[in-house]
Amino acid sequence: MANLKELRGRIKSVASIAQITRAMEMVASMKLRKVQAKAQSFHPYTDEIRHILDAVAGRVGATAELPLFRRRQVRTVGMFVVASDRGLCGSYNSNLLFALRRRVEELQAAGAQVKFWCYGRKGYTWLMRRGFAVERFFVEPPLDKADFAAAKLVGQVLVEAFASGAVDEVRLCFTRFQSMIKFVPTDVPFLPIGAIAGGPDAPARHGVDFLLEPDARTVFDRLVPRYLETVVFDAMLQALASEHASRRMAMKSATDAAVRMNKGLKKVYNRARQENITKELLDIVGGASAVS
Amino acid sequence: MASELHLRVVTPDRTIVDRKVAAVTFQGVDGSYGILPRHAPLLTAIAHTGVVRITELDGKKVEMFASDGFAQVQHNVLTLVCEAGEFAHEIDLERVKAAEAKARERLSGLERSSEEFIRAEASLRKALAREMVARRGSGTGNLT
Repeated sequence: MANLKELRGRIKSVASIAQITRAMEMVASMKLRKVQAKAQSFHPYTDEIRHILDAVAGRVGATAELPLFRRRQVRTVGMFVVASDRGLCGSYNSNLLFALRRRVEELQAAGAQVKFWCYGRKGYTWLMRRGFAVERFFVEPPLDKADFAAAKLVGQVLVEAFASGAVDEVRLCFTRFQSMIKFVPTDVPFLPIGAIAGGPDAPARHGVDFLLEPDARTVFDRLVPRYLETVVFDAMLQALASEHASRRMAMKSATDAAVRMNKGLKKVYNRARQENITKELLDIVGGASAVS
Repeated sequence: MASELHLRVVTPDRTIVDRKVAAVTFQGVDGSYGILPRHAPLLTAIAHTGVVRITELDGKKVEMFASDGFAQVQHNVLTLVCEAGEFAHEIDLERVKAAEAKARERLSGLERSSEEFIRAEASLRKALAREMVARRGSGTGNLT
């Protein structure tokens, strides 16, 4: 029989854990909402950029000649990993890093060397512990506060690495936010740019002929980097949304578990208390009857 | 109807403008553009920094700062897709001044033609364009 004082202590600590996890759950859902709002207001921009890219791509002709579109033999692969800065978000990081590890092993088996760029401290420490070379670990601004300028910087760094020949392929490894309860670790090819969203029927969709000034190439050359930045920012926002949603879920189940545990403990405590009282009563009654 | 042009200004953060106006001028990479209602379909790149001047339906003129983007006209809708866009009243003059000073300082220590120089120059240009917009209008449009 656990003694009463010990039980009281445990009940108290479990209750305060529940309180903390509940607060964390609320913070996570608020942050999630903020990220979603950010994603929402970012959508029109992406749509417009894609739309224009679609329209111009048809005019440029064979894109296969352009540096960012040219496929090379893959000797080194660059991976941009978006993990979280903080823990306590369930299996968010381990799922992502598990998927990453599988992909890396696949690539290495194919004879490619893998280089890493990384956002999020958890990803960085994981990579360092396993002896992977991290080319650059982005810390400023922290992922939580990441804005479009941050994505722009990442995009520039990745494009630079690809253009200079340091890597022959770039992939983005992040967690896709599918729904409030479903997050899928994915990695998608980033560079060289494959087919542009539109496809061959794009000009037909745009229908009307339009003036293009000064010329298709000039516009296209400025458009492509913008497009890549939107892809990076989209990946970062999805990762961030997944992180918060995942943390929210983890904290919710932690709160539930703590509440359940508290209930069980209280039952045990009350039974023990009751038993003590009964025992004392019996003692008193026994003592009284012995006197009289 | 014919004298209205729908203007949309879209940035990564938000959609700044989405309404009917009378006319718009902006700087493209190859010169200044003036867009009136019923303009032919057009697609062009906006200069790295520039001032967009909007003529409202009642004839008032408003200016805004816009940088780095594209302009598209289709079906009487002008869409400016740019990285940053601000009206005069949204610009913090103090911050712009600080940015200007910083850019100037960076410029003075650099070799012309170096890449850094070009970057610093670009940020100086941005600061100056912002400053101009902020000084000229309170956002309600007092230019005629």
